[in-house]
Amino acid sequence: MNITLVKKILADGSPCRKCADVLHKLEQGGYLAQIDQIVEAIETDPDSRGMQLAKQYEVDRAPFFLVEQDDGSTEVYTVYLKFQMEVLDA
Amino acid sequence: MNDQIPLVDIEQQLANQSPFRIMKHALESHDRIAISFSGAEDVALVDMASRIRPDVEVFSLDTGRLHPETYQFIETVRNHYKINIDIISPDGDAVRQLVREKGLYSFYQDTHKECCGIRKITPLRNKLLEVDAWITGQRKDQSPGTRSDIPVIQDDQGFARAGETLTKYNPLANWSSEEVWAYIRAYEVPYNPLHDRGFISIGCEPCTRPVGPGQHEREGRWWWEEDTKKECGLHASNINP
Repeated sequence: MNITLVKKILADGSPCRKCADVLHKLEQGGYLAQIDQIVEAIETDPDSRGMQLAKQYEVDRAPFFLVEQDDGSTEVYTVYLKFQMEVLDA
Repeated sequence: MNDQIPLVDIEQQLANQSPFRIMKHALESHDRIAISFSGAEDVALVDMASRIRPDVEVFSLDTGRLHPETYQFIETVRNHYKINIDIISPDGDAVRQLVREKGLYSFYQDTHKECCGIRKITPLRNKLLEVDAWITGQRKDQSPGTRSDIPVIQDDQGFARAGETLTKYNPLANWSSEEVWAYIRAYEVPYNPLHDRGFISIGCEPCTRPVGPGQHEREGRWWWEEDTKKECGLHASNINP
């Protein structure tokens, strides 16, 4: 399993409030080590990796998680609570 | 449960864990454990538990004064999760005596303590004699005055059998109301329709009212009494000596 967190970077260079909140929760719960990579979706750069992933998986909100299973399938989570319960705590 | 591990150590381990992990720990640690379900947003507990132990024991205190919507909602939950909910009634003679002596609304004159004692606390006490642990939906943010220090696990000496221990779990202690509702929406958990009508904290019909914008949820409970006394005594920390 491979987990990607996509976080949004606002035009002023700061992370979006919700992304910062989720990162804080991951850190506080000791889950950060389970995240394989954190990718930035830069608001002003449609070619940034995160924006490309958002486009590819048709996600219109951040943060979101991509969970790639060993069989190659990918699950998208846009609700942190669901991600935590179904992936991190499973 | 392993009695060799002090509860305070387990509390430290669980303090920053998610409600789901705390629930998992609780259900895996005790066979005789039950969820106290009030018919409000603590339905999130039932949902979580049903994913871990589908036949989890759930009980509700039927005070005889709940809203019709709450009774209907308890039935909805029973059918939705296909679980048995132990509906616990107060002692009929005690209720009869209270009403005969003081009428149906004595709590507006002499506080809710006596009525809650008969309709909620005594039945709860009797129920808890049957289990080794119980799970509640208490949260720190529900009442800054009385619930701000709620741990996720505690030794419930107030309701334990004589000479024995009773463990109490509060998996939602660190969640905000917002997070509970995010969970309810994310998993499309059924909820009490009173919530759509401005009720946040839901108890008995005569003692609960909707709150307005900016009001704290406990302002809708026992509004004629002081803020510091807005607990019914279901939890050991607020039982009168």
